Amino acid sequence: MRLALLIVFCVLAALLSLSIGALHIPLGDLLPALFGRGDDIHITIMQDLRAPRTALALCIGAGLGASGAALQGYTRNPLADPGILGFSSAAAFGAVLALYFGHQNWVTPAALMGAGTGAALLLAMAGRRQSATVLILAGVGIGSLATALTGLLMNFAPNPWALSEIVYWLMGSLRNANFDAAVLCGALTLGGLICLVLTGSDLRTLSLGEDTAKSLGVSLGRVRLLLVVGVALCVGAGVAVAGAIGFVGLFVPHILRFLFGADPAKLIPVSALGGAGFLVLADSGTRVISTNGTVLYLGILSALIGAPFFIWLAFKAGRS
Amino acid sequence: MSLQIENLSAGYGKVQVLHDINMAAKPGELIALVGPNGSGKSCLLKTIAGVINPDRGRVILAGQDCVAFSPQSRAKHIAWLAQDRNAAWALSVRALVALGRAPYRGRLGRLSADDVVAIDAALASAHCADLQDRRFDTLSGGEQARVLLARALAVDADILLADEPTASLDPFYQISIMQSLRGVAQDGKIVIVSLHDLSLAKQYCDRILVLDAGKLKADAIASQALGANILAEVFRVTEQAGQFTLAQIPKKT
Repeated sequence: MRLALLIVFCVLAALLSLSIGALHIPLGDLLPALFGRGDDIHITIMQDLRAPRTALALCIGAGLGASGAALQGYTRNPLADPGILGFSSAAAFGAVLALYFGHQNWVTPAALMGAGTGAALLLAMAGRRQSATVLILAGVGIGSLATALTGLLMNFAPNPWALSEIVYWLMGSLRNANFDAAVLCGALTLGGLICLVLTGSDLRTLSLGEDTAKSLGVSLGRVRLLLVVGVALCVGAGVAVAGAIGFVGLFVPHILRFLFGADPAKLIPVSALGGAGFLVLADSGTRVISTNGTVLYLGILSALIGAPFFIWLAFKAGRS
Repeated sequence: MSLQIENLSAGYGKVQVLHDINMAAKPGELIALVGPNGSGKSCLLKTIAGVINPDRGRVILAGQDCVAFSPQSRAKHIAWLAQDRNAAWALSVRALVALGRAPYRGRLGRLSADDVVAIDAALASAHCADLQDRRFDTLSGGEQARVLLARALAVDADILLADEPTASLDPFYQISIMQSLRGVAQDGKIVIVSLHDLSLAKQYCDRILVLDAGKLKADAIASQALGANILAEVFRVTEQAGQFTLAQIPKKT
């Protein structure tokens, strides 16, 4: 029942996203236009602009939500998030490197390579150790380094145009959505989601600690490898298309834990759905609020929703 | 299934804790592992369970070196109950006990009919069937200890290793847990339990192993293992008419 409601929420959010835009398309014409029937302008708008944008928001949200749930399960810490382990920053650094040298086409491979390099560094630093604390410390270190290097590139940006491009890209947006990007991002995210879902039952066993999980036959090395590859694919694909979008991986699993229970195995697919619905709704929100040529960036909006939530969590934890 | 330990040395990282341990156990035995703090009791249980790898020596199950077992099949034969009683998430008691079935569950973690039977049996043997719908974090320390014991029993392994399952519990729960372990041994399994309470060890166990500074100091039936020498040398106490007092002789010269 709760799962059905969550799916309905995603579908409604997706429909809303398809219906919002500069040109009003009647509700009844939306789906026909999506499948190539009706007014030519409507078909072009739906197929080339709104559908890819909606699909991208769904994919990126799903990847971020599932990554957050899996990382929280692994670290057994409800405040873990793809941002904490440095994946987002490493992917962003890769993409900014491409922008710095003026190669727009290289942004996607560079972001994936950034996320992959961050993941490889993380494994090299924390690979021999079994502890979640070491993993988090290594992640925070890598994230800080990537952020510092991104800052360095902005500092030495060759011209104001490159700097503004980097700044706008870092604010996170789906304005450059197109069909090819949606297919690429969808495929990468799907691969990542499969890796993450496969860690589910081992993460559930990890609730009792790493030693007990090991005594129950869980291979910690395998869990960590699947987790790192899964998160790198999901986050790398998302950052490559839409820039840095934070907090989705933090608060989506957190809210869904109240509704669906804390079992990490269940929470990963459920958070993928929740993240998808949330991000598509937030992206629709940016289009409603953006007027007269001033664009509200998705990364800014999700941070404006997510950061107060994080502060509220910290406040609540401090008082209890 | 028999258990044999040959020339086992192990430790944490570079610190060697256990030195050259030899012992054997056969089905139906309830064995107490006693020794002062830091004597290597936990380390020995973890090494048998495969949580830490031995530096030297072998753990042999039914005549076969444990190294030959896959982690999952080893986990089906040996259950290990950790000393700490933490569970990361607010799981229900039943869900937590079901974690004991992890070695049997497929990639997606579905429970089979056998799993359900084993979970019900484990909840009953640890006397916590009435708690199964409660959340683990709302239970008292004694109830948590029983639930975690049920988790280990749910593995339905031939060998159960319990690391201080009675620590910091009141007498009711201590006795209830020792009785559950007794029952497991009577079902033809090997149970090795580390204990600080020497009276409990004597009262419930068939055999007592005494560890001191990582070496096996005594291995005998319960009534004989804790002789005056061992008590004085290892535990620095003497026993008179069932009462322990501090020994006068220094531990080592």
